[in-house]
Amino acid sequence: MSNLSSQAAAQYNNNFLKEVEAMVEEGNWVKMCMQCGVCSGSCPTNFQAGWDHPPQEIFMMIRAGKREEVLNSQSMWMCTSCYNCIVRCPRKLPITHIMHGLANYAHRLGLAPKNQPTRHFAKLFWNNCIQTGRVNELKLSLGLYFKDGFKQGIINGLAMKDVALGLLKAKRLNPFELFKAHGCKDQKGIHAMLKKAHEIEERRKAIKTA
Amino acid sequence: MTEVVATNETILVVGGGISGMTAALEAAETGKNVVLVEKNPAIGGRTSQLYRYFPKLCHPICGLEINLRRLKSNPRIRLLTMAEVTGITGAKGDYTATIRITPRYVNANCTACGDCAKAVGAEIPNPFNYGLNKMKAAYLPNKMAYPMRFVLDKSIIGTPDADKAKAACKYNAIDLDMQEETVQIKAGAVVWATGWQPYDANKIQPYGYDRFKNVITSVEFERLADPHGPTSGKILRPSDGKEAKNVAFIQCAGSRDENHLRHCSRICCMASLKQTNYVEERYGNEGKSTIYYIDIRAIDRFEDFYAKVQANPNVSFIKSKVAKVTQDDASGDVILHGVNTEGYHRYATPHDLCVLAVGMEPSVKGANIPAEILADSSGFIEADPANGAFFGAGCASNALDVNRSVQSATAAALRAIQVVNRVAKAEV
Amino acid sequence: MAVEKKVAAYICQGCGLGERLDTDALVDVVKKEGKIQQVKPHPFLCSSEGVTMIQNDIDNDGVSHIMIGACSRRAKTDAFNFPSVAMSRANLREGVIWIRPDTEEARETTQEMAEDYLRMGCAEIKAMRQPEGNPNTGTSKTLLVVGGGITGMTAALEAAKTGYPVVLVEKSGQLGGWAAKLHMRVPSHEPYKAPVDNGVAGMVSAIEADPNIKVYLNATLAKTSGAPGRFQAEIATESGSTATEDVGAIVQATGFELYDANKLPELGYGASPNVVDQGGLEQLAREAAERGGPILRPSDGQPVKSVVFVQCAGQRDASGTHLAYCSGHCCNTSIKQAMYFKDANADIDTTVLYTDLRTPGNGEDFYRSAQEKGVIFTKGKVASVQPAGNTCKVNFHDLILDDQNASIENADLVVLATGQVPNSGVNIDFKAVEGEEAAAEVEKKTISILNLDYRQGKDVPQLKYGFTDSHFICFPYETRRTGIYTAGPVRRPMDIAQAKEDATGATLKAIQALENAAIGSAAHPRSGDLSYPSVRLEGCTQCKRCTVECPFGAIDEDEKRYPLFNESRCRRCGTCMGACPVRVISFENYSVDTVGSQIKAVSIPDEFSEKPRILVLACENDAYPAMDMAAMNRTETSSFVRVVPVRCLGSVNTIWITDALNSGYDGVMLMGCKHGDEYQCHFVKGSELANYRMSKIDDTLKGFNLETDRVQTYEVAITDIDRVPKLINDFEKRMFEIGMSPFKGF
Repeated sequence: MSNLSSQAAAQYNNNFLKEVEAMVEEGNWVKMCMQCGVCSGSCPTNFQAGWDHPPQEIFMMIRAGKREEVLNSQSMWMCTSCYNCIVRCPRKLPITHIMHGLANYAHRLGLAPKNQPTRHFAKLFWNNCIQTGRVNELKLSLGLYFKDGFKQGIINGLAMKDVALGLLKAKRLNPFELFKAHGCKDQKGIHAMLKKAHEIEERRKAIKTA
Repeated sequence: MTEVVATNETILVVGGGISGMTAALEAAETGKNVVLVEKNPAIGGRTSQLYRYFPKLCHPICGLEINLRRLKSNPRIRLLTMAEVTGITGAKGDYTATIRITPRYVNANCTACGDCAKAVGAEIPNPFNYGLNKMKAAYLPNKMAYPMRFVLDKSIIGTPDADKAKAACKYNAIDLDMQEETVQIKAGAVVWATGWQPYDANKIQPYGYDRFKNVITSVEFERLADPHGPTSGKILRPSDGKEAKNVAFIQCAGSRDENHLRHCSRICCMASLKQTNYVEERYGNEGKSTIYYIDIRAIDRFEDFYAKVQANPNVSFIKSKVAKVTQDDASGDVILHGVNTEGYHRYATPHDLCVLAVGMEPSVKGANIPAEILADSSGFIEADPANGAFFGAGCASNALDVNRSVQSATAAALRAIQVVNRVAKAEV
Repeated sequence: MAVEKKVAAYICQGCGLGERLDTDALVDVVKKEGKIQQVKPHPFLCSSEGVTMIQNDIDNDGVSHIMIGACSRRAKTDAFNFPSVAMSRANLREGVIWIRPDTEEARETTQEMAEDYLRMGCAEIKAMRQPEGNPNTGTSKTLLVVGGGITGMTAALEAAKTGYPVVLVEKSGQLGGWAAKLHMRVPSHEPYKAPVDNGVAGMVSAIEADPNIKVYLNATLAKTSGAPGRFQAEIATESGSTATEDVGAIVQATGFELYDANKLPELGYGASPNVVDQGGLEQLAREAAERGGPILRPSDGQPVKSVVFVQCAGQRDASGTHLAYCSGHCCNTSIKQAMYFKDANADIDTTVLYTDLRTPGNGEDFYRSAQEKGVIFTKGKVASVQPAGNTCKVNFHDLILDDQNASIENADLVVLATGQVPNSGVNIDFKAVEGEEAAAEVEKKTISILNLDYRQGKDVPQLKYGFTDSHFICFPYETRRTGIYTAGPVRRPMDIAQAKEDATGATLKAIQALENAAIGSAAHPRSGDLSYPSVRLEGCTQCKRCTVECPFGAIDEDEKRYPLFNESRCRRCGTCMGACPVRVISFENYSVDTVGSQIKAVSIPDEFSEKPRILVLACENDAYPAMDMAAMNRTETSSFVRVVPVRCLGSVNTIWITDALNSGYDGVMLMGCKHGDEYQCHFVKGSELANYRMSKIDDTLKGFNLETDRVQTYEVAITDIDRVPKLINDFEKRMFEIGMSPFKGF
């Protein structure tokens, strides 16, 4: 069987739905959607930049077995967690959570779109904060500014210079933090906690897959 | 004092809408004695407030006239209006119902001449038109009212208006000393046909019924379209009286929604399809309707009606549960926001008027039915042997259209007859 | 009852009648022209004092016929309720003073109007007799139930429970019908979560145990004759012999067949054994249950791992090839069937392909429950099913993802939700069309169910698509065959829960019909009416119009080809009376004479008076109430009209019109209900027939040398409250334009 036909055969069978139910947080709710579309209509992001598929469509795509398209999608990364969709969903689907669950799953599989800004930010944020147990805002901002190269970074930085100066004046920004960030008191403890959390999660995933 | 002769061979029918009337008439025409209790001053119920029926687009009061004639000529039915059952005790074949009768302040002498209404100054919201207009506080409930007798609203009792009404009546029909009374009657079986009420649209927050005048409910729309309604049948929007030529219908406003009503109310799809016809009837090809829906439930032969509306170029269908409604303050237009799920198209469409196809909530909720009566998760009375000789009929038992309500009421009448027949046999 | 006829008249002076009208003159008219000597005016006739006065005259003075000149016959019915006497009511309030201006100029014409209505009331009461009830009654209290499916069994059990014996005729060898073939059924009670037992076994044993229910299996109706209360059913039994049963009323519960899936080759039916209809799936499920194993794929007996349900297969078809309607139950049925798989093994893929999912009421819970169990619902329109080996490929248009080329491959089983086709027997209204297909269709439908020995055909008339549903929203049980009620899917597509409810209601109607037949009283919509049609056969010319036109098939022909009235089948609409060219048909309280004498009683001013007279014959159920309501609005209406309510426009005999024109009326208006496809006439054909008859009146008018505008027929609804006065006033204007009738004063 060629790749193309094997993918076609997978269409509209329930394999991907079952995978989502097993692996994605709140994924077992996907089957409950009745395609009314109130979630899509309620989303305040208005599906600008990058919203390729609204939630209800994502759910239909999952049922249609469109694994690659779903996991490669930008959509889940765009959710702002406003919870409008959850509040209005006539079937009480935890849509926000499902979207985050899908994003997380795509990320874990390495299928999430490269250079997806939300994902990039999330990674920066996470890596930044687990080092010292505190977010180094200066490093985080600069990391974001220079995401698309040095030139763009300078442009971004200059665009924000008034804000930066203001913060500096108000002593809310310390340029020396760039070299030595202050951390939380018990950094060891934090690291131990994160390690433990990671173990627990792995264990849970193992149970789910089994 | 109201006298009612009833025994445990009597059938008590609670509710004088199409279902209650049908149950009472069918039982009486089979030779049984019936007490029919209606809480409003006139019978007819919610169907008498409809402009037309689907799918024939005929007029509900046509059937009402037949039923009234049947009722007037049938000595076996004792009708109590402005009466509510406050409690029922006993068991199958032997119930005692307590009925509270509120004063009408008008007795049987009334000839419906209307002199009292002329004399009275005070005005109250007209419930027949869902409060869309006002009427005198001495009023005839509607032109088809039975009993054809005026009512004095209790708000004017003790005021000079009441005295004016009394003075204006040449027939000594106004009795300001009428008191609330409570009667107890026996019954072998009870048919509970208290109908439905439109789901409270204020609870559907995103649709703005509480904030935007041009968002109305489907039952209100019936009155707007009725030539004998508050706008003389011109479909004028409430905010500015502009002709509403571009009307949006939002389906499942409350129904099929776990935040509101779990069940599907069955009638709303057909009702909205019917109402698109009102828009066209009034404004011809200028009258445009858009139906926002999840599934169009035009069940069995109603499909024909759906097919006809679908073929009408003046009606559009958008498969979408509308996310929210906003208002354009300058024009007064309502703007519907959402996503057409068939292929994913986002819309923000202005309309002159937005009609919420509100769901059907059983009126048994909150009514004084014996606590042990089994109802389903939506509050509809279930057919269950545990309910003894207490039978739900019409929309007290399920979300039903008129045709099915009548079927249900006819079936309930038979179940009641079975009980009183057994009582009669035992007594011989 | 040979009680001496004593007539009394009462004139009310209340509600402004006393002020607006000259009561003394009215009394004079009643005495001198109406020839009723006992006339009593009363200041407030509907008061208890007034009513007592009338009742006293009835009780103590032997008054047997009363004429009340007061308000509309629709008003104050509780007060003017004298069931022991014949009564006519002259409408002086809504008919006169409420529609006329209270001015000095109008006083004369208003008074003339009132006087005419009194003349009419007097004439009517004299022509009326108090009905005594149809003597040709039958007293059978047995119910015949045709069909032993869930509907028929319900009807039988409910009737027996009410105390009525039942004869049940089932064409197959066992009770249960379609329901018995179901593995399980959709729940009709909380919780709406899973399929429940089909309930057939319990019903069958209850029927078998009930001594009041007599069952004929492998039996059909060879002939059904008679009328409510005295039907005779000839039952062709298994042995070849015929059994005869006397029954009082009939419930026809002959159910449905599944739409033939062979007509859907594009959906793979016939091409692969793995494509089944819903009935086929039930059989697979029952076989599996008996085996105690999973549902197997028919082609090779392997367990089914994936199944696709195709909704609306051959239904909701706009092309005219298949069923145009929706069968209502199939969404829930497919959900139930998907649960057969999911409840047994959650790993089986079950997909329902639908365009609109229709699960009304608590069906929504059932739908949710299926989703919880993992049934997948995909909104899509199926284009084709292609069998390939032991599986099928289902091609469809995914309407949500807007993918025209979506498909499900490797489906082990495809279930087609085909619809219900009613077993309703012969379509007696069928007009043969040319072409072979139509002929084949007709042939299929020539097998009668009831074999009615009625002149108008062997079966109950059908409404549409072969269903015997009633046309009336408010009166779903009213077939056009009195005492025969249809229930279940033969009447309308429906599920089991509805069929049981429907059967219970139909049983009540059947019991009611036989009880009323026993006392000689009419059935709906004139329930309680004791009048009945009588015919003077000496005058009959055997023209057959009455037998052809009766909307309820009440009239047969005897051996000598005279009309044979089956009074218990009659609904008292008077269509026969309207049809009869020699006027030999009448009812005691409604006849050519009761109306004709009213028409003649009106005083016709001479040609030069400029006072035309316009006769309005108005349907008492719609046009007449519309006029009453116009009067409540005090809508001014011509003072030249004289309105006579009629039971149905179908009862209008053309003699009334020619008499009116002959005696100098200037015009005649007929107001009846809408006819045609969406007819509103409660006697089904009355207004249509009237319209047809009136289409020929032009010749009569030409014969009289009169303008055709002088007789007009209008479709009027009860809500035409503003329109009716306008029609009348316009008509009046037209009469002035044409000029007065030349027939006055002859």
